[in-house]
Order: sequence, then C-alpha cells, then structure tokens
Amino acid sequence: MINIALPKGRLGEKVYKLFAEAGYEFPGMLDKNRKLIFENKELGMRCFWVKPFDVPVYVERGTADIGAAGKDILLERSPDVYELADLKAGFCRMAVAARNDFVDDPERILRVATEFPNIAQNYYSGIGREIDIITLRGSLELAPVLGLSDVIVDIVETGTTLRENNLSVVNFIADLSARLIANKSAYKFKGEIINEIIRRIIK
Amino acid sequence: MLSFRLRPEEFAALNLRALYENYHYNFYRMSRFEEYDFYADKKDFLTSKRILTFTDINGRLMALRPDVTLSIIKHCRTVEGVQKFYYDEKVYRVPKNASNFQEISQSGIECIGKLSTENLREVVELAILSLKTISGGKKYILDIADAGFIAELLKDNENKQEILKCLAEKNIHGLKSINAPGEIIALAEFDSEEKIPEKILSGKYNALYKLAELFESLKKYRDVMRVDFSVVSNLNYYNGIVFRGFIEGIPESILSGGQYDTMMRLMGHKNSKAIGFAVYLDEIGRM
Repeated sequence: MINIALPKGRLGEKVYKLFAEAGYEFPGMLDKNRKLIFENKELGMRCFWVKPFDVPVYVERGTADIGAAGKDILLERSPDVYELADLKAGFCRMAVAARNDFVDDPERILRVATEFPNIAQNYYSGIGREIDIITLRGSLELAPVLGLSDVIVDIVETGTTLRENNLSVVNFIADLSARLIANKSAYKFKGEIINEIIRRIIK
Repeated sequence: MLSFRLRPEEFAALNLRALYENYHYNFYRMSRFEEYDFYADKKDFLTSKRILTFTDINGRLMALRPDVTLSIIKHCRTVEGVQKFYYDEKVYRVPKNASNFQEISQSGIECIGKLSTENLREVVELAILSLKTISGGKKYILDIADAGFIAELLKDNENKQEILKCLAEKNIHGLKSINAPGEIIALAEFDSEEKIPEKILSGKYNALYKLAELFESLKKYRDVMRVDFSVVSNLNYYNGIVFRGFIEGIPESILSGGQYDTMMRLMGHKNSKAIGFAVYLDEIGRM
C-alpha cells in the first residue's frame, strides 16, 4: 500500500490532475464534499487531502510514503525527507516586498512581517541583517501599508496584489513550485513503486 | 520463578549486547555527566545543539551526556593496536520537532586505534547484523557511502552546504540548479543500482574503489546493502565510510555511524582511526 498526502486547495488539485493523467485515479477526489481519504484498491494506493503546511509532517513521520508540497513549505519546515522531483506546477517566488516609497535605514532593526519566519530569518542571517519578525497568518500586504512592518517576506505569483497596495518586490529569495517528497525509510522499501509513479507523472 | 515480559526495546538491547560480546567487544560503562566545556567546542558533532546542564556540588557547570561517542574517545587511552567497545546508555537531547529534552536509549559500538580494512569491514558487518537482530523479521537496509570522497569533491566549492543538503534530499533538480559538480549529481542519482557505475570508478575518482572493495568483502549481505550518498552529512568529522540503517515500518533511520578519524585528531589522538555506530532503540517499541 502506498499512501499519498496531497495539499488541500488549488495547488493540490493541479498535482492530483498530474496523478490522474498518469493513470493514478482516485474516484471522488475532486468532488466538493468533506471526504478526506480516497482509496484505489486496484492500484494499492490511498490518497488523502491535508492542510498544505502539514504535508511534510505526514511524510516525515511516515504516515504518508510520498506527498506533494510547495517549496515554500519545505524551506520553512526543513523536513528530513527526500525531495525527488520538481512537479513544475504552481510556479511562484518567495520575495521581500515593501512600499514603493520605502527607503531602508541599515542602522535600524528591520521589521519583517511574514507567514514564513524561518525563511525570513535564514535569508536575513545570510546577509547579516538584524530583524524583528512579525508572524502573521495572511493579508500580509496590510502590514507595511499600516506601518506594522517595514517589509514583508511572502509568496509573489503575478505581483497584482502588491501593485494594488502600492507595494513592490525589493529582493528575490527563492523560486517556488510543487515538489514530490518521500519518506526516507519508505523509499528504501517501496522505492521501485515510488520511482515508477514519478516517471509516469513527470513524463 | 519470576515471570515477566521484556519490552521490545529492552529485548533488542539485550540481544545486541549478546551480538557485540560474541565479536569480543568490551562493555563500556561511563558516568552520565561530563563537564559542559567538553562539549562547547564540539557542538557540530552533536545532532542536537542543546545540552542539559546543571551545577555540581563544587560549582562546576556539568552536562548530562548528549552523546556517547565523544566520551568514549575522551576516556580511551591511545595504545598500540585496536580497542573495541560497546555500550548501552541513555543520552539527553532535544530531538528535532520535540518541545523539550528527552531521554533517548542508545546502543552501539566503537572501534578505535590502528584500524585495518578488516576492522572497518567488521564494523559494517556488525551494523548489518544489528539491524537483523532488532528487525523482528521485517526487511532492513544499510545505506553506505564514502564521506571522504564527497569532501574531496567539494573541497573548494563555495556552495558546499547547499550541495550537501540537496545530496541528503536526493534533490537532483536542486543540485542542477546550483551547478553542482557532475560527479555529485551522478552519485546522487544511482541509489538502488547494483554496482557502482564505471564512470565514477574510473580516472581520478578511484577513491570509490574503497567502497567497491568493502561491498566485495561483504558480498553475502549484498541484498541488504546499498550504495546511497544521501547518508553523507557532517563532513567536519566523518571522513570515510558512513552508513545509515533502516527497518521497514520505522519512519526514521534507526542506526547511524561512520568513520571519524578527523574527530579523533581534533581530540588529540593523532595517529588513531575510529569507526562506530549507534542504534536508537526507542522506536522499536512502536513497530
């Protein structure tokens, strides 16, 4: 039995389509209901929707053998897992953004609002800048507009939301997309099946 | 007669003791405490940087041992020949994702001194037999690599840390995106292959012959050994063979070890080599 954790939401649905097109179908996966676990007995596989941020937890602890997670979440949580493939879905970037009129004062501690405190911390330690992290759970754009923070570290897809709030990207941190991850131990014993799945969904 | 049932991890620990005794390893018993200073400059060697400290009755800052290997190196006197130890101890660490210190059961062996190829072979064999002993009939695998070879390849590479991280993740697309050397990518790619590819064995990369020789000398365990360079982690201390063991159904590696001559040198044993491994038994109970 192979257990697969997919992230609930748009990215997960894109990834599920890759699985379905490769012949790994789980009837009812895309129906609008509250069911979370789907089994395909013929394939000997089970697929479940979990919160995007939790995918690495399920995989690292072996509840799921493989999973699909955004690179943002992998960078934030640094799970001890294999990152076997770039699924080339959900392309976006992790970046620093600030108000268009923002001028950085290097003598001050920079106030950084983010949903990704570890990514922000690593980035700024890397360039030797002292920061004050303000962890938020969404609507990051508000923080610099209202003066809660100087900059934000956030996912940027098209940049439309930033523009509408008079914000712009000031630094690039990383390219993001969905990645296929595997539990290290599970990969030892189910490696052939996992590699076969990857071969078929990557094409 | 007193009758009671041993917990699986206790049973496993006793079986391992029997195994190591059979191979003439000596039981090593040590104090639970070391002076804190002893660990202060060796934190890179420890898997968890946090150390549980207290002040003893003389006012010295002491640490509850986070690791056994360092204590064994410290207390072993350099002598001619080879010293073989095994231990069954508790260590105190903050495991990744844990919210506080935990007491962790650790068994293992260390083989120290003027080591021959045969000594290295024996330790790797004991790693395999340890897995077999505690696996309870489940499948097991020992992944093996050569850390010295990777260190050589990455000697002057400024992306070293990033490359090592990708290697540990089998992250081929990541390695390519940071322009890792082709040899590293080749090593990352051949996890379940039967043989070490010729292109890596040839020319200046013949350091891998050591690994090939080791596999040859352990032929009868071929089914449970694999070359897998994702086990290479800490190049500051490990300088030769490194390995990790997995048992089906246990999500993390349960055995981990390697050759750490560099650590020996750092601790003043100039001409000694050392190899050893630790088995983490707490997960056994959950199987």
